[in-house]
Parts: sequence; structure tokens; C-alpha cells
Amino acid sequence: MSLERLGRMLWEYREVLLSGIWVTIELAFISMLIAMVVGLLACFGSLSRSRILRAPAILFVEFCRNTPILVQLVWVHFAWPELLGFKFTAWTSAMIALALQSSGYLAEEFRAGIESIDKGQIEASQSLGMTYVRLMAFIVVPQAFIRMIPGILNQFVTCFKSTSIVSVIAVPDLMYQAQLIVTATFLPMPVYTVVALMYFLMVFGVSVGVRRLTLLLPNFGYFQTRKEAPAA
Amino acid sequence: MSFGAQAHAQASGDPVTISALHKRFGALEVLKGIDMAIGAGKTVGVIGPSGSGKSTLVRCINHLEPIQQGRISVGVNGTTVTARGVENAGRVLSQGEVARYRAQIGMVFQSFNLFPHLTVLGNILTAPVGVLKRDKKAMIEKGMELLGKVNLQDKAKTYPAHLSGGQQQRVAIVRALMMDPKVMLFDEPTSALDPELTGEVLKVIAELAIRGRTTIIVTHELAFARDIADAIVFMDNGKIVEEGTPDEVLGNPKMERTRAFIGKMA
Repeated sequence: MSLERLGRMLWEYREVLLSGIWVTIELAFISMLIAMVVGLLACFGSLSRSRILRAPAILFVEFCRNTPILVQLVWVHFAWPELLGFKFTAWTSAMIALALQSSGYLAEEFRAGIESIDKGQIEASQSLGMTYVRLMAFIVVPQAFIRMIPGILNQFVTCFKSTSIVSVIAVPDLMYQAQLIVTATFLPMPVYTVVALMYFLMVFGVSVGVRRLTLLLPNFGYFQTRKEAPAA
Repeated sequence: MSFGAQAHAQASGDPVTISALHKRFGALEVLKGIDMAIGAGKTVGVIGPSGSGKSTLVRCINHLEPIQQGRISVGVNGTTVTARGVENAGRVLSQGEVARYRAQIGMVFQSFNLFPHLTVLGNILTAPVGVLKRDKKAMIEKGMELLGKVNLQDKAKTYPAHLSGGQQQRVAIVRALMMDPKVMLFDEPTSALDPELTGEVLKVIAELAIRGRTTIIVTHELAFARDIADAIVFMDNGKIVEEGTPDEVLGNPKMERTRAFIGKMA
């Protein structure tokens, strides 16, 4: 297939492809945002001293981490309506399944970040009269967040790539649209090659962008201590 | 045993009474029945070999370590640390109330424990403004004044990673003093410092931190303890071996174990 023909075909299907890209981006970002909130709650639950909070939180995290995304997707879309008594759109099911999967991994990422903070920081906060909520919010989580960034970024990349599976329940994402174009044109090689390139550019672009953004965050002098001798 | 039990009327510190205190970590008993009464505004130096339970003792006072037996009373309003937690009038206090109890007791740690993500000013303001809800402007003024007293006024906007150990410990002392504590606990405040930096910290403790406050200081600096303390307690193996005035314990120890320890430290 000549490049010219490929170009013409892409132009012809530009709206379909663009709408697929939009659904993919929207799904990835929204599920990731929800996963961060749910993951943080699950993390605090799993760190709680109360068994009533800890046990379900750990069970939730382990369930999310130890079931395949495809199974979660199908389970949410076909089993939840029967269990709950109402139906979701395919898009909502996809968003829930992706958020479920990511929240399990993020909860573990957050827990590791929080547990990596020196115990002395917690004791100093306690000795200054801080409650658990205050010391977490103002002392521990802000410090842990910096350490969590690479893990959150990795999970975002995984979540972005996992969106390609939602075409199974007919969510019109980029992969779904590609399948439609292939059905119409009988040209799997060029279409799937272009789509693979599109995924690569989007995921790579997001990774580089987020990494750049994290460099703008304050580093509290962590990285400058070797260059600047401390004043005596 | 009691030190200055007939407290100075003008002292602003709170009396601390410890009775029959036992602390265990699993099967290991670290404190084996400690009794101590410290009058308001008095300073007690706690000395002893590593593993004798000195640090654990001060950490029990502000309930950083729960105790298994005995009582610790701080102040005159009846708040007591027991095996059940922190109690007042027989009622076990909630976590929020325990936090308020701790806020009255200043603590300075061996490893400074400054908050690395906050500037010096952020470190000293976070608790008085956030916990005690004091006016931020007034606290900045007070903080800058205290930083001036410890010669760190120009470091207010610096992050802890850019400070020397001695400077960090001086900030940690100011951070504790910002809460207007009635009782100050020092857990080996100079042990993590290079010898040439200990002097500046000891000076701040003697001249700024202790004044009028009931103070318990765990230290290996025997000369310093002799200068500032009203009483010295020598601990070994979870027990108080000897106690008395600095001259008695450090100058003329009665117990063989104390003599051996002081001989080694000299």
C-alpha cells in the first residue's frame, strides 16, 4: 500500500479515529483520577489499626490486583447489573473496571510511600500535639507524595494501555474504531500499524510530559545538599 | 524519690510524678519499676549506659510509648498516663485529647526530626498555628524572635537539608518552645552531633529551653548535666541505681555501678 493511499484512507476515517482517541484519553484520565481517590482510601484502610476497616481494605486491594483486567471488565459489565439491579453504559463499566484495577495497585503504591517515611517524623508530629489526620495530611502524605510520583506515573501508563481492551464490551475507543475501519477496508496491516503508533505517541507523550512536570515540583533542597556546603 | 518537691511558686513548669512504671517490649522488660517525682520548674538529668531505658522513660511521659504498669502524672489537672492509655478522672482520653496532652509537653529528639518539606519557619509555625490555632502573624513574630535568640534568623526560609546538625537541633528546640510547653523532654539532644557542634546546642538548652520549665534531659554530657540539673538520676538495666544532687551522683557516687560508668565517661 502506497503512503499516498494510506494518507487518503486515514483522512477519510479521521473523525472515527479522532473520536476513538478522545474516548481512550477520557477513559484513561477519568479512571485514573477515580483510582487515585479510591486507592488513597483503600491505602488508609489497609494502614488502619481497626480490623473492621483494615480487613475489607486489604481484601479489596488484593482482589483488584489479582484478577485480570479482562475478567474485571466483563464482570462489571455483565454481573454487576444483576447484582445491583440497574445497568451501566459500556463506557461506565469500562471506567469502573479500569479504576478498580488501578486503585488496587495505587493503594499499594501509596502504602509503600507512606510507610517509607521515617518514624521520627510521626513521633515529632505527635509530640507537637498533632492528631493522626493532621500529621498524615500535613507531614506524612506531602513527603510521601514525592516518592510516589514514579509509581503513579507507571500505573497511569498501564491504565492508558489497558483502555485498549474495552472494545470487548463495545466501548468506541481507538482500538474499537480501528477494528471497524479494518472491517470496512480489509486492510489490517496499515490500520493496526498506525493505531499502534498512535498509542505509542500518546503514552510516550504523557510519560515525558508528566516527568517534566514533576521536575517543577519543589524538592525541598533534597537534591542540592551535595553542591552547597551547609553553613556551619 | 523526689527532686524539689516543694516547688517554686514562680515556676511556670508542671510537676511530673512517675510511680512504679513498667515498660515491656514483648518479653523484654525495659523499665522495671521507676519511681520519680520532679517538682515544677526543676531539671533532672538522666544518665546511664546504652540500653538502660533512659530514652524509653522520657518517651513514656508523653505517651509515645504505651506503658504496661504504673502511673505518670503531668501537671496538676489530674491527667495521668496508665496502662489503659492517658486518663483523666478515670476516663480514658480520646486520640484528640491525647494529642492535646502531648501538645503541653515539648520534646527534642536525638535525630532532630525536622520536617524536610517545610522551611525553618514552616517547621516552627505548623503546630502553634495548626494545632493550637494561634494567630499566624503573632506566631511569625514570636518565631523570628526565638530564631534570633538561637542565631538562625537568617535561615527562616531555608529547608532543613541545607542546615548543619547543630542548626537543625536549634530549630527543633525552637519548634518545641513555640508551643509554650510546661514540661520539656530532651532525648540525647547532642548524641548525633559532631563534637564541635554540641556546644551551640547545649548553650541554647541551658539559656533558652530550660528556664522555668520542668525538664528531663537524657544525656551523655556529664559536665553539662552537672551545670544545669537540679538532680541527676543514674539508670542501668531498667532501674534507677542512684540519684541525688549533681555533686552527690557525679562527684561522689555511692554505688559501684555508678562509679564505673562515670569513670568510663570521664
